[in-house]
Amino acid sequence: MKDFAYVAAPDVATAVRAAADAPGARFLAGGTNLVDLMRQHVERPDTVVDISRLPLTSVEETKSGGLRIGALMRNSDLAAHPLVRTRYPMLTQALLAGASAQLRNMATVGGNLLQRTRCPYFYDRATPCHKREPGTGCAAVGGFNRSHAILGTSASCVATHPSDMCVALAALDAVVEVEDVRGTRRIPLADLHRLPGDTPHLETTLAPDELITSVELPAPAAAPSRYRKVRDRASFAFALVSVAAALEVTDGTVAAVRLALGGVAPKPWRAVEAERVLTGAPATEESFRAAADAELAPAVTLDGNEFKVELARRTIVATLRDLAREGSRA
Amino acid sequence: MRVTIEVNGERRTADDVWPGESLLYVLRERLGLPGAKNACEQGECGSCTVYLDDTPVCACLVAAGQAEGRSVRTVEGLAGGDGLDPVQEAFVATGAVQCGFCTPGLIVAAHELVHRDPGATDAEIREALAGNLCRCTGYEKILDAVRLAAAKKAGERA
Amino acid sequence: MTGLVGRGVARVDGRAKVTGAARYAADHEIPGMLHGHLVLSTVARGEITELDTSAALALPGVVAVLTHRDLPPLRVPSFPYLKGFVPMQDTRVHHSGQPVAHVVAETPEQAREAANLVRVRYRAERPTAHLAHALDEAFLPPLFRDEPNEFVRGDAGAALEAAAVRVEQDYSSPMMHHNPIEPHSSTAVWDGNSLTLYESAQGIVFTRRVVSIAFDLPEANIRIISPYLGGGFGAKGPTWSHTLLNAAVAREVGRPVRVTLTRAQMYTMNGHRAEYRRNLRLGATREGRLTAIVDTSTAQLTRTDHGVYNTSESTLRLYDCPNVHVRQLGVRLDLPSSSYMRSPETTAHFGLETALDELAHELGVDPVELRIRNHASADPHSGEPYSSKHLLDCYRIAARAFGWARRDPRPGSMRDGNVRVGWGMATETHTFSAIQSNVELTVDVDGRATLRAATQEIGTGTYTVITQVAADELGMPLEHVTTLLGDTAYPDAALSAASATVASVIGPVSQAAQDARKAVIALAVADPRSPLHGVPAEDVVAERGYLFARGDRGRRDSYRGALARHGRPVIVTGSRLNSSGHSYGAVFVEVRFDPRLATLRVSRVVTAYDPGRVLNHRTAHGQVIGGVTWGIGFALMEHTMVDPHTARVVNPNLSTYLVPVSADTPSVESFFVDRPDKGSTALGARGFGETPGTGVPAAIGNAIFHATGRRLRDVPFTRDKLL
Repeated sequence: MKDFAYVAAPDVATAVRAAADAPGARFLAGGTNLVDLMRQHVERPDTVVDISRLPLTSVEETKSGGLRIGALMRNSDLAAHPLVRTRYPMLTQALLAGASAQLRNMATVGGNLLQRTRCPYFYDRATPCHKREPGTGCAAVGGFNRSHAILGTSASCVATHPSDMCVALAALDAVVEVEDVRGTRRIPLADLHRLPGDTPHLETTLAPDELITSVELPAPAAAPSRYRKVRDRASFAFALVSVAAALEVTDGTVAAVRLALGGVAPKPWRAVEAERVLTGAPATEESFRAAADAELAPAVTLDGNEFKVELARRTIVATLRDLAREGSRA
Repeated sequence: MRVTIEVNGERRTADDVWPGESLLYVLRERLGLPGAKNACEQGECGSCTVYLDDTPVCACLVAAGQAEGRSVRTVEGLAGGDGLDPVQEAFVATGAVQCGFCTPGLIVAAHELVHRDPGATDAEIREALAGNLCRCTGYEKILDAVRLAAAKKAGERA
Repeated sequence: MTGLVGRGVARVDGRAKVTGAARYAADHEIPGMLHGHLVLSTVARGEITELDTSAALALPGVVAVLTHRDLPPLRVPSFPYLKGFVPMQDTRVHHSGQPVAHVVAETPEQAREAANLVRVRYRAERPTAHLAHALDEAFLPPLFRDEPNEFVRGDAGAALEAAAVRVEQDYSSPMMHHNPIEPHSSTAVWDGNSLTLYESAQGIVFTRRVVSIAFDLPEANIRIISPYLGGGFGAKGPTWSHTLLNAAVAREVGRPVRVTLTRAQMYTMNGHRAEYRRNLRLGATREGRLTAIVDTSTAQLTRTDHGVYNTSESTLRLYDCPNVHVRQLGVRLDLPSSSYMRSPETTAHFGLETALDELAHELGVDPVELRIRNHASADPHSGEPYSSKHLLDCYRIAARAFGWARRDPRPGSMRDGNVRVGWGMATETHTFSAIQSNVELTVDVDGRATLRAATQEIGTGTYTVITQVAADELGMPLEHVTTLLGDTAYPDAALSAASATVASVIGPVSQAAQDARKAVIALAVADPRSPLHGVPAEDVVAERGYLFARGDRGRRDSYRGALARHGRPVIVTGSRLNSSGHSYGAVFVEVRFDPRLATLRVSRVVTAYDPGRVLNHRTAHGQVIGGVTWGIGFALMEHTMVDPHTARVVNPNLSTYLVPVSADTPSVESFFVDRPDKGSTALGARGFGETPGTGVPAAIGNAIFHATGRRLRDVPFTRDKLL
């Protein structure tokens, strides 16, 4: 790990000021991703602003019936929070599907939003990676790419976004609040992460010195919801495919649906096309298949990840089917 | 920088700490507590699990500066004096220890689980300990140890 | 004998391990010690053209950066140094992840960062990374450790031609890594021309030999210390280059140096299970008697060594087949050397036990019955009778406990709602070695015993079993016996690998303890001050530390009393030899497969074994659970991915090289025939550690076939192959 200046920020103003004053500075929260990447020499900041003591750890109800979650809330605390458990069970499920107990005890909401890919080539500094070093190439396209993305990729980058939490937040239409020395702004989650295009190293729409301070969830829908993660071992593994879904069925027809995918795209993937196909359609297996097919139609596969299309299709259908069944029982 | 941490109930100070050092390094190399183990340094195996302010974390991913002023409990500090904590006793009694290298981290994780949720089901125990890889024992005896310690804990409460 | 042997006594080292007191290789405090960090090559084949260490040397805390330009010549040691070359002796690069520089600094973080600043340029050549890219270059490697790679019995070609039923299939498995949880660590402390190494070594005596050759030092000048190992699974059996380089560097800088490999470095520095392909052809009669096996395997070799570790032992010796032709071919690739990895025979055995299931299905014969019909009651290759073999009992016991009789043999016939249930089985077997071992036993003036042997505790329970056997033979309580291992200052003893420890060490321990008991009894009966004075020695029994006259328990002396009067310790040695052999068993597996998302779960495992006499049921059961878990990892997830273009390991970590977590493993039932093998001098116990798990990958694959009708022949059986 490279030597760096360490600033322990007591408050948000100090944190954003320190970041503004030191170009290339990184905010350090739970450390689960940044410390690892620094030790692997993938991240080499000159300044680290430790924000782990900022008082951004509360969960508050908003006037509109939603929740505002402090960006430094630990994943385990958020998953266990009564308001989250009861009103946004999909989020609790997603949080608990991620990583391990120890890591969930460390990882924060803000950090998880900015979690970087686990593409193995991103981690291997001896191989080309446009995300790590723009202009060098992509070793994954012709290399080992079983875990890589099938939607939203480019010739430059096929890495997936690894977070489970973000998939649920995408389905829930979360809004991210950020702050820098100039002030605060709100970013819908869908607009936070970028697709790689020709610039896979630019992963979000945040300015380098902008600090995520909270995440706001709109009022919960009454519909049954679920987060389902499919992986290579029973626990503590990144998703091959994951689905966050909420489905409201009225008289056999899909009245409202939220659907987001993980493990298949460079960003938490809101399945807009599938939602369009489903809304107003009969809540049947055929509709679910048609929706999945519509979402996955633009999929581009590589040598190793062709199976993800079928796996994603089946996971979408199975999750919607379970929710439809649950809804009809209720 | 100087880092002051309460370790196993004692105030400990380490000088000339480089902020990039991990809490694991500080414990092992500066404070003479090699119980927590360095095995992957990526948060992927759980061998370095210690309590940080009553929460089990991977000490390899905690930057030294982040531990300043906080309290840490390691496997060396679970039992008072020469005795064994019931979780440690249970690991020995059930044969949940083989090579012993993952054991210190597992014991801290199991200790927290038994105190937080002594009624955990098998599935919950397995999930709670998923962050602790063990290559020798195959986990079954570790589950036995957690159940045994939890039963003892429940008995104490009753 | 006080009945300690066989009992599942708790580990004598348990307390040290649960309190963090046990000192592993990287835990020893050495005054004045520096930390080393290796710089590894980033290309797989080529030459170093430029090596710039200036930026690294400029970093605070850095003491030295050594390269091939600085190191003295080191001789390439013989087995168990497997690499075929010593790195950092010249500019040639033989594989990616080969040491090219060694940084030494005051702290590990400084050394790591400095290593990152060493600039190396290469003239790179295109590497060959996979078997598939070079199968046409397969060749029969020369003898390895005096063993050939081709075996012929009868005329397998003709018998296959004439066979009523034939099965021919290809089976394959990828590169896999041991991944002991403890990384390799070596600390070199020189004192003049003497070297002490604190080492994570499965065979300290072997490490001493390797170091002695490399440095041209007498073995007497070298001491290896390894009191605890955090697992090894073969990775720490051979001595690897980091140990030699670090010792050389420590000598150069004149201070003790510790090098601990990172997890990623362990993927190129310490061996692995080779990528492997195998073509198997079985011939049989309609009744299911094997008439021919033609077994042609191809394993990954390197350009610098030709060790074949995934041997076809079970093809050759497990079943009674008159015509067998085994060829173990190899292909030279630009990869690090492979090596032994826990139960190396599993790799080949997977194919054989799968092919037998295919044959059973073809014939309509029950898979257990097929194995019984081909049971070997004498060694099929040598013709020699077994001193003891109860494999047929294993089939019977495990099948009954599993409920095998209720199995409907039709694939896909057993269901539980949407879930398809599959039952499969396989024979488990592995060889074990017996290695000449010596122990020294001291009964001290306080009447307590200390046993010393230069073997090691890898986690299997060596401290415990040795203590148990010694206490039992001495007639002492367990806590009066201390066992000291892991130091070459003690008498030479076996390595903790090849399932050799119990088979090799227990005989000498038992012999020494018997001799010590006899010696102390002789002292007592000859001593006028002893209550046992004049009692015939053969009429004295030892129990719980006391010595009694048989039939007159009022006449009682003790070890403590006898030794106190004697005034000096009694020291004896043991060195009884044993012979190598095989252990056997059977494994039955239930899988539950949900076709909707191709979700597979191993839900039940029942096993039965014949390891001769069981010395400690608890540690033996522990080996079974561990072995079965390894079998599950082998079958379902373990896979080292090598980039086809760069020959670099793509997943050198524990988040993308998956090993089973707790939730992947079912509870494992195990039964033991537990009859002493008269041929074993280790109280009738055979080596056992590597037998459990050998049949598990095939049993899982066979269960998947039973559940789904789909036959998988390439591990790991990941979800994409089951969709």
